[in-house]
Amino acid sequence: MKKQYLLVLLLVAFSVLTISGCKKKNKEVVNVFNWAEYISEDILEDFEKETGIEVVYSTYDSNESMYSKVKLLKGSGYDLIFPSTYYIAKMIKDGLLAPMDLSKLPNVKEIDKALLNQSYDKGNKYSIPFMWGITGIAVNSKFINPDNVTSWKDLWDAEYKGKVIVQNDIREVFHIGLTSLGYSGNSTNPKEIEEAYNELVKLYPSIRLFNSDSPKVPLLNEEVYIGLVWGGEVFMAAKENPDIKFIYPEEGAIGWGDCYAIPVGAENSENAYKLINYLLRPDISARISEEYGYASPSPKSREFLPKDIAESAILYPSQEEMNKIEFQNDVLESIIVYEKYWEQLKTVN
Amino acid sequence: MKERNFFNVVTVAIIALWLLIFAFIPNIMMFIISFFERSETGFFDVAFTLDNYKSFFSSLYFQVLFNSFKMATITTALVLLIGYPFAYILARSNFKYKSLLAILVIIPYWTSALIRTYAIKVLLTTNGIINTTLETVGIIDAPLNLLYTEGAVILGLVYTLLPFMILPLYATIDKLDVRYLEAAGDLGASRFKVFTYIIIPLTVPGIIAGCLLVFLPSLGLFYIPDILGGAKNLLIGNLIKDQFLLARNWPFGSAVSNLLMIIMAFMLFAYYKSAKKINSKVL
Amino acid sequence: MSEKYLKNIYLWMVYLFLYIPLFILIFLSFNSSRYGTSIGEFTLEWYVKLFDNKGLVEASLNSFILAISVATIATVIGTLASVSIFRFNFFGKNFLLTLIYVVLMSPDIVMGISLLILFLVIDLPLGFTTLLITHVTFSLPFVVIALFSRLAGFDKNIIEAAKDLGADSLKTFWYIILPSILPAVVAGWLLSFTISMDDSIGSFFTTGPGFEVLPLKIYSMVRLGVTPEVNALSTIIFGLSFILIVISQILLRDKTKTKFK
Repeated sequence: MKKQYLLVLLLVAFSVLTISGCKKKNKEVVNVFNWAEYISEDILEDFEKETGIEVVYSTYDSNESMYSKVKLLKGSGYDLIFPSTYYIAKMIKDGLLAPMDLSKLPNVKEIDKALLNQSYDKGNKYSIPFMWGITGIAVNSKFINPDNVTSWKDLWDAEYKGKVIVQNDIREVFHIGLTSLGYSGNSTNPKEIEEAYNELVKLYPSIRLFNSDSPKVPLLNEEVYIGLVWGGEVFMAAKENPDIKFIYPEEGAIGWGDCYAIPVGAENSENAYKLINYLLRPDISARISEEYGYASPSPKSREFLPKDIAESAILYPSQEEMNKIEFQNDVLESIIVYEKYWEQLKTVN
Repeated sequence: MKERNFFNVVTVAIIALWLLIFAFIPNIMMFIISFFERSETGFFDVAFTLDNYKSFFSSLYFQVLFNSFKMATITTALVLLIGYPFAYILARSNFKYKSLLAILVIIPYWTSALIRTYAIKVLLTTNGIINTTLETVGIIDAPLNLLYTEGAVILGLVYTLLPFMILPLYATIDKLDVRYLEAAGDLGASRFKVFTYIIIPLTVPGIIAGCLLVFLPSLGLFYIPDILGGAKNLLIGNLIKDQFLLARNWPFGSAVSNLLMIIMAFMLFAYYKSAKKINSKVL
Repeated sequence: MSEKYLKNIYLWMVYLFLYIPLFILIFLSFNSSRYGTSIGEFTLEWYVKLFDNKGLVEASLNSFILAISVATIATVIGTLASVSIFRFNFFGKNFLLTLIYVVLMSPDIVMGISLLILFLVIDLPLGFTTLLITHVTFSLPFVVIALFSRLAGFDKNIIEAAKDLGADSLKTFWYIILPSILPAVVAGWLLSFTISMDDSIGSFFTTGPGFEVLPLKIYSMVRLGVTPEVNALSTIIFGLSFILIVISQILLRDKTKTKFK
């Protein structure tokens, strides 16, 4: 009996030692903080081979948790993070991001000018686009004629009751409420938010689910026929089931983007620049884009992509659609107003 | 107190120190924060206020609380209903590998909780196993909406928490002294009477332990309502998480968490009081 | 006879309920449909991809080592303390018991954030140690509550008898108390191991770069869609733990048998 306990103790001691021994201090590293699997393992390995810099990859599940942790750590601990556009402005304001030295990033020239200099970070002083995409309407043409759907307002149609999907994302849901009334999706006006809430209350009975993960699965399972879905997800779903179509709402699609940013306390920012510059290479950016169906910010990367992706109207909107897109930005302290109505929406109904 | 020897002092001191540093201090910290104001730039401003508690007293949050307690109560009742007979049969059986069978209860739970929840989703989906089977057999014509319902959430909770009921119950029933039962039988008690008057009272500690380990965690499992329920109703676990992360309102988030704890503490207290009363009557 | 039959059927039905999601997982891990939305062909693709996925394999190993350490430490601390708390009255006993309930009631996110603040204040580098502390704290109530349910009604006279015969505290604990509470000790260990393998929110806040654990990694995949490699991984984890447990139980049983012969 005693021998077995001794064995367990030894095992624990051994494991503690091996783990603490694993951390080699002399090696060049870059501590990346990102969504899990957003950059595939083989790309990171290629980078390691090319530069000798080891990528230590840590993960988060949402912008909100990433923000809380980075803020608690006062911007230290990680060298490269990937906040979405609407968190960039917030993090700049809080002084959590280090200014970007563009001279260390020659590959910035590859990025589409239309994606630079956006309202969330004028002049790209703190952030560079990593991947981007749009949110529009997905329709399963087996059940719903796509020609009848042109606007966000069509989601309110009583015909689709119980068959509508929206993302479990406060900003996206309010975005359709706001833009269907003609307001900005980044509104900070409490009156406008309240009006949007009143519209959403009418939409609520139609909603089958507020989706918390990848929305292609309920679409493919025919749980839902129509709804608010990211373009990349529709593209992937359409590969499995060609009945699933994407529609640009006339109010304009919602634009979102994840960006490279370096926290103020980064200890290996030189290595972070090297990694950003590497990932900005059109051929590398193309590999990430192909894996997830999100759009690469580099126009040249399309040369490296399979034809169906490069020429997809879902992933790469036409100039006309591009002009209508509104990118998500920080709503400052109005987030409390949003949150209050969000709680009401899900409770009172 | 003559037994205050080295062994006891050390063992109690270790857990007491551990809990003081890693449970008491953090919780006191959050308790204090709940009396502060929300900050625009930080997570809180050091300024005393009772507003966080006041704003909880609204019909909106009472509804959230009510829904959460309803779900937790149904879950606990179902888990007890399924788990008790199981633990009882297993613990009183004479299988060769009884303890192995008890451990097999928890092995599925060593894979990720999230992944098992996804597997339940596959089971319930429109063209999933249940719907297809029912349709083939001819019980239903059109697929049932099983997923994204309250029932799906409860199924997920029951599944996830079942071992937390079974294992403590098994450990309690396993030590049950057979002589009591035999004595009662010899005295002519019916099996029903033996069960209600002897077995159940003797296993009450296990029932309480199981209910605690199921009821309390079930209030906090936010990913199950999100994934299986379609996040359509706000439950208290989601509320606290959203207040901390989304609204960045730590003071209110900790106020909600404190109130929840106070309510549960009150329930536990009331339970122990009444349990004592009943016991003293019986004895 | 028929009653025994019914009882067995009930047992197997509950086991079926517990294992159905596992069967689905195993099926999906060999299914070629990427999103698990249709029945495709038999494939080993996800297993091949899994072994190329250094991050996922490393996170699983980290989780296993962490969970074993957590369960062992929590069980040792929890068991010793429960027995002492059960046997003796001391100043602050009720306070200690209240703290145990407080941990059980605190939402993970509250504990996670406040522990992170604490670790930052005492300047403890985030990683294995901080995760270990967090998970042990989460597990302690499970161990203590499981132990208490078994200890309730334990005949203290036996301990007195042992004492009178000259056994010291350690001996009494090892030879008298431990054998009779062993099932609860095992239950406490198993519950703690499970808590550690499943905690994502607490882990998120209290780990640092370089020590990634599996539940956190899987939870972070949610936005982009959980990859089928995870099904393959879960199948392997399940298979390994199943085989290990069965073998160890059979070996243990043989040993105790020969001992008593």
